[in-house]
Amino acid sequence: MKVLVAVKRVIDAYVKVRVKSDGSGVETANVKMSMNPFCEIAVEEAVRLKEQGIASEVVVVSCGPQVNQETIRTALAMGADRGILVQSDEELQPLGIAKLLKSVVEKEQPDLVLLGKQAVDNDFNQTGQMLSALLGWSQGTFASKIEQQDGKLRVTREIDGGLETLDLATPTIVTADLRLNEPRYASLPNIMKAKKKPIETIEAEELGLDIAPRLKVLNVSEPPARQAGVRVESIADLVDKLKNEAKVI
Amino acid sequence: MSTLKMQQSGLPEGLEDLLGSKGLLTGEAAQEYGRDFMGEVDNAPLAVLRPETTEQVAEALRICTEHGLSVVPQGGRTGLTGAGVPTRPNHEVILCLGRMNKVRWLDEKNHAMAVDAGCILADVQKAAADANRLFPLSYGAEGSCQIGGSISTNAGGTAVLRYGNTRDLILGLEVVLADGTVLDMMRALRKDNTGIDLKQLFIGSEGILGVVTGAVLKLYPAVAERECALLAFPSLPAVMQSFAIARESTNDRLSAFEMMPQNGITLACERVPDVVDPVEGDYPWYALLEVSASKQGSGLQEMLEGLIERLMEEGLVLDGTVSNSESQRAQLWRIREALVEAHNDMPHLLKHDVSVPISDMADFIETATDKVQEIAPDAMLIAFGHVGDGNVHFNICHDENNPNGSLATRKKEVTRAVYDLVQDYRGSFSAEHGVGSMKRDALRRYRSESEIAVMEKLKKALDPQGLLNPGKVL
Repeated sequence: MKVLVAVKRVIDAYVKVRVKSDGSGVETANVKMSMNPFCEIAVEEAVRLKEQGIASEVVVVSCGPQVNQETIRTALAMGADRGILVQSDEELQPLGIAKLLKSVVEKEQPDLVLLGKQAVDNDFNQTGQMLSALLGWSQGTFASKIEQQDGKLRVTREIDGGLETLDLATPTIVTADLRLNEPRYASLPNIMKAKKKPIETIEAEELGLDIAPRLKVLNVSEPPARQAGVRVESIADLVDKLKNEAKVI
Repeated sequence: MSTLKMQQSGLPEGLEDLLGSKGLLTGEAAQEYGRDFMGEVDNAPLAVLRPETTEQVAEALRICTEHGLSVVPQGGRTGLTGAGVPTRPNHEVILCLGRMNKVRWLDEKNHAMAVDAGCILADVQKAAADANRLFPLSYGAEGSCQIGGSISTNAGGTAVLRYGNTRDLILGLEVVLADGTVLDMMRALRKDNTGIDLKQLFIGSEGILGVVTGAVLKLYPAVAERECALLAFPSLPAVMQSFAIARESTNDRLSAFEMMPQNGITLACERVPDVVDPVEGDYPWYALLEVSASKQGSGLQEMLEGLIERLMEEGLVLDGTVSNSESQRAQLWRIREALVEAHNDMPHLLKHDVSVPISDMADFIETATDKVQEIAPDAMLIAFGHVGDGNVHFNICHDENNPNGSLATRKKEVTRAVYDLVQDYRGSFSAEHGVGSMKRDALRRYRSESEIAVMEKLKKALDPQGLLNPGKVL
């Protein structure tokens, strides 16, 4: 089974995000970038499938500027076999990325496409689903477990009421949820080996797709700052404040 | 509380008027302030004074001096040598700076901020970060210790390699002397050669010369990029050789080099939740190495990978990992922190916080290990820490299954052997933990008579009645 994993480069989840002063977006200059944590989980799962002998090759793809090669290299150090960069310096939104991924899928013919369930920068949670629709493939979103069962993939999904189990015929699309696995640390020998693994670059422009943004950001603002607490002198004071200020009782 | 009661408890009258009921604790409420972090000292104070302003500190000290009352200045009570707690029960008052916890000002352009002594170190770091600046001082106790305590003990920590000890981060200081005199030295200057640099006397002298009430701190540009690696080594000399190469070849970007032994990491994984050893094989020594820069895209990753490639080619580094996100980096640092937590409650723990010249570090640890094993062959040695500063925490204990091991009766002998060896290397028996009440004997033994004599003269000049933090240091 050949596995294609899509990865996104985002502002590191631990970084305090600052809103640009003109409200047009968030500050990305001089900010630490890392692989989206859900994408990291997807890469880890693909590498585990290979270690279990289920996957034969793991190809990792990222759409965006040249610097996304670093993110691909991280996935290669974790154990992916080769990388593809679909290069574009334009703003990419889920539909545009789904279209780019579709053309990579048509070229690579994978049996499974693994993605993170969403990216922590804009929380769209759409790319996997859109790719499924564009390809006409089945999808198992929010996966917390992936097994091979009678030639199919058995995917356990985290849903509101509990867990749902799907058997998916390949080719199929699976998006990774938080509890699917705990991503590994790349070992030094693997980091060194990753430097020699190939990364192919495809120019997004040359694919002739309409990937122009369909959504327009009107304004980005900080959430209101939380007010500091006050110490009340007595229980009567507390009750008074809850009644008349907070109006919760 | 009535005046009569106060007089019965031996407290001068003016204190309650000065500090109010919130500012003065006695009896049960005061008791816990007499206990130190490791639980080695527990001496209830007569009272705890909790002033809110420098003026109150000055007036309180004046009143105490007038009545011949001993005063123990206290920060977050995280010290490891008993410097911040009384030496005698029901005999001394504690002057706790915790209510003086305001950031006075922050000047981004001057890369400086002024704080009250009672600010928690983590809050200071955060205030600097909010202004896109770095206050680099960082160590395990940062969530509870107060900056005044960091200053009084000249605390070290994990960023000394790049930014120096607390002393190197202090531009100005505000100190109250025993007689209530306020020394306002809150100048935010990097260059100021105007006579004797008095503030230096109060940094690291553990509150025996005066009480630090405020400070001007040195800030740096915020770190925008950093790379963190955990490296596995075959031997101690390989650790130190790798450090030397790292220092030379990272363009002054090296900001941490923390050594950890295999047994310390194993303990951390076993005894502290959520700690994972990311390296598959077993190696005798590990080090956490970090490079950082104030700008993204300064080629840190290539630099680090180039360094690691070279160290691996030379057989100095055998395995390890590089963090690929801030979350992985935090988890690597968690190992370093958990290593301390994991053995803090081991039977008969002996902590030695020693330093030797960096060039002698490997040799020192190997020789000291031999010497300790001669005296206490069944002891467990956990040598770790800031070897890039020439500082190693040479801790010795027994494992849980051996509570009656040889250390039970040979602690003094072991410590003596370690300190004697340190002296042979012209090292220090207390690199960053200070002297407090616990290492006074060592100070007398390992510092020259003439050095001690000068220290005593200074003490006499500034605190003639010997009321400030008695029984500490000297």
